[in-house]
Amino acid sequence: MTDESIMEAVKRGDLRQASILFERYHKRIFNFLAKMTLDRELAADLTQNVFFRLIRYRESFRPGRRFEPWVFQIARNVFSDHYQTQKNRVAVYVDVEKVKDNIEDENDGAERDEKERQLHQSLARLTDEQRELLILTRFEQMKYEDVAAIMQTSVANIKVKVHRALLKLREYYFEVEKT
Amino acid sequence: MDKEKLTGMIIDYIDNNLSEEERREVEAELSGNAESKGLYEELRELVHLINSATPIEMAPRVREDFERFLEKEIDSSKKVVRLQSFFYRIAAAVLLLVVGGWVGYVVSQRHEQRIAEIESRIDGMMAMMENELSASQRLRGVNVVMTLDRPDDEIVAALLKLMNDDPNSNVRLAALEALGRFVDEQQVRRGIIDALPKQRDPVVQIALIQLLVKIREKQVLDDLQKIVDDEETIQAVRDEAWAGILILS
Repeated sequence: MTDESIMEAVKRGDLRQASILFERYHKRIFNFLAKMTLDRELAADLTQNVFFRLIRYRESFRPGRRFEPWVFQIARNVFSDHYQTQKNRVAVYVDVEKVKDNIEDENDGAERDEKERQLHQSLARLTDEQRELLILTRFEQMKYEDVAAIMQTSVANIKVKVHRALLKLREYYFEVEKT
Repeated sequence: MDKEKLTGMIIDYIDNNLSEEERREVEAELSGNAESKGLYEELRELVHLINSATPIEMAPRVREDFERFLEKEIDSSKKVVRLQSFFYRIAAAVLLLVVGGWVGYVVSQRHEQRIAEIESRIDGMMAMMENELSASQRLRGVNVVMTLDRPDDEIVAALLKLMNDDPNSNVRLAALEALGRFVDEQQVRRGIIDALPKQRDPVVQIALIQLLVKIREKQVLDDLQKIVDDEETIQAVRDEAWAGILILS
């Protein structure tokens, strides 16, 4: 069954089907939010909230729409609502040295290699928009078309911005590596 | 070739998104330009690292919480089905108004829309405040309530419950702050007066005393005296209560 047909069933009132969507998407949504917030615990709370909203606002899923960009749009809204309420921005307060501690489980930290730690630190130094673009298009492998639809802009614009963000990430990553 | 275009082409080259002709153009650039080659190698390493990055593992509680929430929603959706005939009657009444005339239609539509907006907003706030699993969500719910001009009884009751019983002291304090905005409401005033002898969190006790003093609530003088006399209460709270008595009496 496609995500869309499952979501249609949820919309018609078969709420149990939402479990399938949870299974298919919760790890990706969590990873998106963990990399955006740089905080594993907060990302877990916000992930729950995404799926709560998916069920509560199921009527807003329109026929013919693709599920993946829709659920990521909810995740973006949850993220932005959280920080609007908190009135603090990740980029202002984040201590890049602590990023790894904040987003990784204590138990698996030792197994991660140094390069991933540098990658997360470099990612944390990007602007919210750049980080979001790279998470969606590179880590989550979403199509430029879908990201453009979510961000209400053109595919060409998204592509240019992703390239610039990748270039910035390269600058931070190799700067960290050289130090 | 300008640098931005070159970068874009190198990234597309790494992603294997170029035509044959464009590939040859990039390969010629890379073999003849050490700087471009260096850029390519760094970007390739970065892209490879991103593609192979280990996903961040999530705590199992998220699944458990989701399943609990889902069961709750399934239960409440059954209740909604039972109430549907009631809503159908309301809808029929609205329809009659429509038949009654165009003006009536426009007025009733606007009214319905407004009620739906308010209900949806209140539902959202209540859902957040009742989210037992997440202190940050409850806190957010309280913050949204603070934007209201006037809360309804259900919201006041939820705020009082959070102030009195929430396990998280930030949530208790935020709920008190929200209540402080609505002290002109009788139910709020009564709720915070009643809360004083029950509250055990010193930080909330102090904030509560300050609020009661600010609104000049003399009914709490006896309770303040009890706090002053209670040797088990920490000194800072007793001092605040004593200061309150001096101001109010």
